[in-house]
Amino acid sequence: MNERELTQLRLTAERCRRNVLRMVEASHHGHLGGAFSAMEIVTALYFYKMNVRPGEPKWEGRDRFLLSAGHKSMVQYAVLAEKGYFDKSVLDTYGGFKTKIPGHPDMYKLPGIEANTGALGHGLSIAAGMALGLRSQKNDAKVYALMGDGELAEGSNWEAAAAAAHYRLDNLTAFVDFNGLQISGRVQDVMNYTPIAEHFAAFGWAVRDIDGNDMKQVVETLDALPFEKGKPSLVVAHTVKAKGLSFGENIASFHYWEPDDAALKKGIDEVEARIEALEKELEEVQA
Amino acid sequence: MIGELKDPRKTFGKAVSDLAEQDERIVVLSADSGFSSGFKEFAAAHPDRYFEFGIMEQGVTGIAAGMATTGKIPVFCAIAPFVTCRNYEMFRNDLGYMRQNAKLVGRNCGFTYSDLGATHHSLEDFAVMRMIPGVVVLAPQSPDEIRAASRAMLEHEGPVYMRIGNPKIPELYDGEREFTIGKGQLLRDGSDLAIISTGSTTVYALEAAQKLAEKGVSAMIIGMPTVSPIDEEMVLMAAKKVGKIMTVEEHYCRGGLGTLVAEVCAEKAPVPVKMHGVPQEYATSGPYEELLRYYKLDAEGITEVALEFISQGSFVL
Repeated sequence: MNERELTQLRLTAERCRRNVLRMVEASHHGHLGGAFSAMEIVTALYFYKMNVRPGEPKWEGRDRFLLSAGHKSMVQYAVLAEKGYFDKSVLDTYGGFKTKIPGHPDMYKLPGIEANTGALGHGLSIAAGMALGLRSQKNDAKVYALMGDGELAEGSNWEAAAAAAHYRLDNLTAFVDFNGLQISGRVQDVMNYTPIAEHFAAFGWAVRDIDGNDMKQVVETLDALPFEKGKPSLVVAHTVKAKGLSFGENIASFHYWEPDDAALKKGIDEVEARIEALEKELEEVQA
Repeated sequence: MIGELKDPRKTFGKAVSDLAEQDERIVVLSADSGFSSGFKEFAAAHPDRYFEFGIMEQGVTGIAAGMATTGKIPVFCAIAPFVTCRNYEMFRNDLGYMRQNAKLVGRNCGFTYSDLGATHHSLEDFAVMRMIPGVVVLAPQSPDEIRAASRAMLEHEGPVYMRIGNPKIPELYDGEREFTIGKGQLLRDGSDLAIISTGSTTVYALEAAQKLAEKGVSAMIIGMPTVSPIDEEMVLMAAKKVGKIMTVEEHYCRGGLGTLVAEVCAEKAPVPVKMHGVPQEYATSGPYEELLRYYKLDAEGITEVALEFISQGSFVL
């Protein structure tokens, strides 16, 4: 990937952050911390890696993305909207009555959603089943699942981890958005599942630790998939909670954000300033 | 009671295997439970369609949902409490809320795993499964009906829970009857009392009807192999024609078939309903026949409860 493409991806990620804030503008609340920490990964998946057709969301050959940590739904809504799955005006209905974009995703309400997640510890099993189903019908589509770090305390994840390795599902990649914070505090203090990569490796996964907010590293990681033939891939994405909101980064309470107008404006100004800078940078790179 | 006794698990496994010959989408998932669910031959015949996961019912339920999204029809059978209670949230969200076409079958249902104790009994599976919107709950009553219900379950688009027992069971009638999800069966007409039964107890309800007849009581017998959605029309027919209903099930007497019948009656045709089953306790253990006798779910017990109910007359408000 050249510099221009990388800058374009970074710009897209910031535009998606702006989409998240558009949802927060509508509702004045939302799980912002995890949506922002996972933004580079989800943006790179949809705009660089995945083979998808936004106008044909049920196309059989599509790659699948599941948000196991369903509370990060704003990241997926933001990226799907940017990708053209639905009109951006839908973002203004976040938090509203009968919205298509509820707090946790619903596959029957919005195109592009693959699973009804929200209860933690479900996504990896569903993703493993998809990967197994696709492989057994010789469909080359890939499956990507994004989990939270606090979510790893759910035992069902480890059932899925064993099954995916046992069935050698190298068409499955899981990301752990390791921003290190959950509602009650530091993940390691609440319930320690580190070292995450080593745990999955012990189950038979091929693993990598990366900086999940560094778009270049994210792209290089996606280029390397599957890490090993015959093994599912696990990316421990070291990220920053509320990445891109200078006054919220690495603060546990930004897991769920209920900003007043001034804080929201400050956040929007920050993101828009980065969008402007990246647009300028892109023009310069192109020139 | 007609013909030789047959093993419900083997009957079920064979039925699914036969249907799988015609439909490549059918796959079998196992939580170390497939061989004892009648799938040994299936596993040998279709190794590429038989998936073993070890003892992880939560994981397998999610995996079943994922496979179903790709067009497969997963069938997952294990001991009843482990595919209903253990994995309840996965059933609710991944199969129910996601409306996936997967079939979960609870075997050794009720207290048929009698001597293994309450951890292995399922006396609330109807109650918990019927609360998940869109889930069909089946309890076939005979070997032929297990075959027919398996076909109906696999032809139905959407999540299904079916329970089957463990001890060998007899046929209820000659030949295979048509099985329609949501339809009850008038097995014997009567005018003093309508007994609505499901699953394993229906054969005893039929025997009880004979005993009751000998005592001058005319009992209508309705077989209700679909617990949910309940056959409202059939319940209302019994309520209006007979005016006194007793439900029989190898399940807690609250929350299952009795409750479903009572709901229909309460809203549309209020008649006395005696809900007969296991009281709200952790059932005792021992030989199956002794448990049936203890909980009055054999022919003698059903007869006794029916006579007592009859003797109470109608409600006086």
